Amino acid sequence: MSGSKEIYVRRRLEVIVGLISIGFLILVIRAVDLQWYQADKLQQRAEKQRQRQFAVAAPRGAIKDARGRMLAESIEVPSISAIADEVPSDRVGDLAKAIGMDSARLKRKLVGQHGFTWLARQVDPAKAKRVMALQIPGVRQEMEWRRYHPLGPETGHLLGFVGVDGHGLEGLEYSLDHRLSGRQGRELVIRDARGHALPGGVWLQKPRPGKAAQLYVDATIQSLAYAALVEGVKRQGAKGGSIVVMRPRDGAVLAMANWPSYNPNNFGKFKPSEWRNRAVTDMLEPGSALKPFTIAAALESGHWRTSSRVFCEKGRFRVADYVIHDDHPEGWLNLTGILAKSSNIGAAKLATDIGPKAMYRMFSAVGLGRKTGIGLSGESPGMLLPSNRWGPVETATIAFGQGVAVTPLQLATAFCVLANGGMRVHPKLVKGASVRPPKRVMPEYIADTVRRMLEKAASPDGTGALAVPAGYPVAGKTGTAQKPDGHGGYAKGQFTAVFAGMVPADHPRLVIAVTVDRPQKSIYGGVVAAPIFRNVASAVLPYLGLPPEDSQPSPAWHALQVADHVSGSDGSAAPAGTVPTLFGKSLREVRNMLASRGYQLHVHGSGWVAKQSPSPLSKMPEGGAVEVWLDD
Amino acid sequence: MMRLWIVSGLMMAALATAQVWLAHGRYAIAHKTTLARHHVENTQAEINRLGLELASLTRPERLRELAKQRLNMAPPLPMQVWRP
Repeated sequence: MSGSKEIYVRRRLEVIVGLISIGFLILVIRAVDLQWYQADKLQQRAEKQRQRQFAVAAPRGAIKDARGRMLAESIEVPSISAIADEVPSDRVGDLAKAIGMDSARLKRKLVGQHGFTWLARQVDPAKAKRVMALQIPGVRQEMEWRRYHPLGPETGHLLGFVGVDGHGLEGLEYSLDHRLSGRQGRELVIRDARGHALPGGVWLQKPRPGKAAQLYVDATIQSLAYAALVEGVKRQGAKGGSIVVMRPRDGAVLAMANWPSYNPNNFGKFKPSEWRNRAVTDMLEPGSALKPFTIAAALESGHWRTSSRVFCEKGRFRVADYVIHDDHPEGWLNLTGILAKSSNIGAAKLATDIGPKAMYRMFSAVGLGRKTGIGLSGESPGMLLPSNRWGPVETATIAFGQGVAVTPLQLATAFCVLANGGMRVHPKLVKGASVRPPKRVMPEYIADTVRRMLEKAASPDGTGALAVPAGYPVAGKTGTAQKPDGHGGYAKGQFTAVFAGMVPADHPRLVIAVTVDRPQKSIYGGVVAAPIFRNVASAVLPYLGLPPEDSQPSPAWHALQVADHVSGSDGSAAPAGTVPTLFGKSLREVRNMLASRGYQLHVHGSGWVAKQSPSPLSKMPEGGAVEVWLDD
Repeated sequence: MMRLWIVSGLMMAALATAQVWLAHGRYAIAHKTTLARHHVENTQAEINRLGLELASLTRPERLRELAKQRLNMAPPLPMQVWRP
C-alpha cells in the first residue's frame, strides 16, 4: 500500500472512530440526561403508565322499618359522560336524540369544550344502552348510586331524599347522612403493557359502606296513617294535614305523615316548600286540645279538685278588654264537664285563678315551647311566651290553646305524658340512637284523672265521639283554632281542626295527633280530625294484635281456642259428638260445619258469630240444636 | 469450562422460561380476581335491586289495593280480631 493510500485509510478510520466516539458521547450525555436530570420526571411518567388509581364506590346504607322492611335503598344506575374534545361534532345530533336532550344545548356542552363533562346522570339503563350502542368516540358510561324509596309519597317527608352526589338533602336522609353515607375507596393497580391489571393492587383508601339505620316507624302503620289522612283531608276539601302516631310507653314514633306529600324518587318535580315535614316544622295553634293540660295545672295547684264546679257564664265572659265565647253556652260545669263540653270560659277561669306561672310550668313540663330533639332538621320549637309576658288576656286565652303554638309532634309528645301516668318520654325515630331517659313531670294521679276525663270527652256526651272505633275506648280531645293572618290577628274563615288522644283509654298503646289545615265542609276537630283518628286506631290496633274490648274472649274461651288450634284451625276437627267452635265465623261457614255433624241451627242477628250455645266442645248427640248470636 | 458455560446458559434459559410462565400465571390470577370482584359487586347490586323490588311489590298500600280488588277482602270487623 502506498503512503498516500495508507494515510487515506487511516484518516477514514479516524473519522469513523471519531464519529463513533461522538455518537457514544451523545449516548452517554443522553443517558446522563435521562438517568440523572430527568430521572424523577420520567420515573413519574412511567409509573403513571404502569399504575392506575380506581375509585371504588361505597353504597349508602339502607333505611329499614321496625320489622326490617326496606324503606330506602341504593342501587347502581348508569350515567352518561363524555370527554368533550373527543366527541366528533357531526355525531352530536345522534347523541342528543339518544339522550333525549336538546341538540343546541348538547352542542354548547361539547363543542369547543375540553375534558370531562356529565351529559345525563342516573338515567334509565335502556337509554344508556341505546347511547352506548351508537359507539360515539369520547362518550362513556359511568355507574352511579341512586337512592330509591319504595313507599314513595307515604314516607316522602319523613325520609327526605338524596342528591345526585349521594348526600342526603332532606328528612332522615339528611339528619342521618353521616351514618348512611359510605366513604369512597381508592385502589392503586399495576397494569401490564396491554393495560390489564396485575396482582398486588394496593388500597390507598379502603371503601367503607354506609351503615344501615333501622327506624321505630312501621311501614304498615305509616301506610295506614297516610291513607287515613289523605282520605280525611280530601273528604273535607282541606288544604292539608299531618298525623303523628306514637307508642307512649317509650316515645317510639310509629308513623309520621303529611298531606300533600311528594315523591322523594322524583323530588325535582316538586317545589322546595312541598319538601317540608310539616309535622315537625310547622307550628299551629292547637285550640282546645291544650285544655287537658290546663286542667292538669289546675289540679296540680291544689286549688281545684275533680268535683270543683266552675260557672261558665252562659257562653260569654269578659277578661279585661277581651270577650271569650263558648260555642255551646253552659252554666255550672265540673272539670270533667269543661273538657267534655270544651268550654273556653271554664278553662280561662281555671287559668286565671292559678296564674301564669303554674300554667307555664305545666305547658313547659310537657314539652311545649322547645324542640323535642327527635333529630329531624328544621324542627320548630313551637311558641310559648315566657310567663312574665302573660297578661290576664294571654293567661285566659292560652288556657284554651290560643296564643300558643305547637307542632303536631309536640302535641303527640305532650299527650304521651297523660298516657304514661305523668312520665315524659322523648320521641325517637332511629333504633340505637341515644335518647334522654323518661322523666316525671306530672303526678301519676293527676295524669290518670285527666285521662279518665278525656275518656268522657270522647264519649257520646263529649266533642270527640267520632274518634272512637268500635270496641276500643278512647281518651282524647278535639281542638278547633282560627289560623293567624300574619298581621297579629286571625284570618276570617280559616281554621285548623285538631284531635289528639290515646287508645285504648285504660292502657294506652297508641297516642295519635291529627291536624287538618283549613277544612272546608266543617271546621270542628270533632268532625274533621276525629274520624281520621278513629280510622287509624281501628286499623292499627288489630294489626298490633290488640282485640277490641267487647269481643275479648274469656280465659276459658282461650283454652278452648288453643285446644281447637291444636286439633284443627277451622274448628271442624273438634271430636265427633262435640260442638265445634263457631266464634268469629260467618253464617255460611256455621251452616256448613253444623250440617256436616247433623246439628240443627238457630240464628240470631247477622254478621259473624259472637256467642254460641252450647259452648264449644260440649257433648251433643246428632240432631241437637246449636244456637248462635251474630253481630256485625 | 465449555460445559460450565452450557449448563449456565441452560439454567438461564430455564429461569427465563419460568419467569415468563410465572408472569402469565400472575396475569391469569389477576384476571380471575378482577372477574370475581366484579361478580361480587354485581351480585351485591342485584341483591339491592331485588330487595328494592320486593319492597315495592309488598308495600302495604299495594297489598291493600290488591286484597280489596282481586280477593274481595275487607278490613276485619272488631269481633273478628282475637289475640291467641
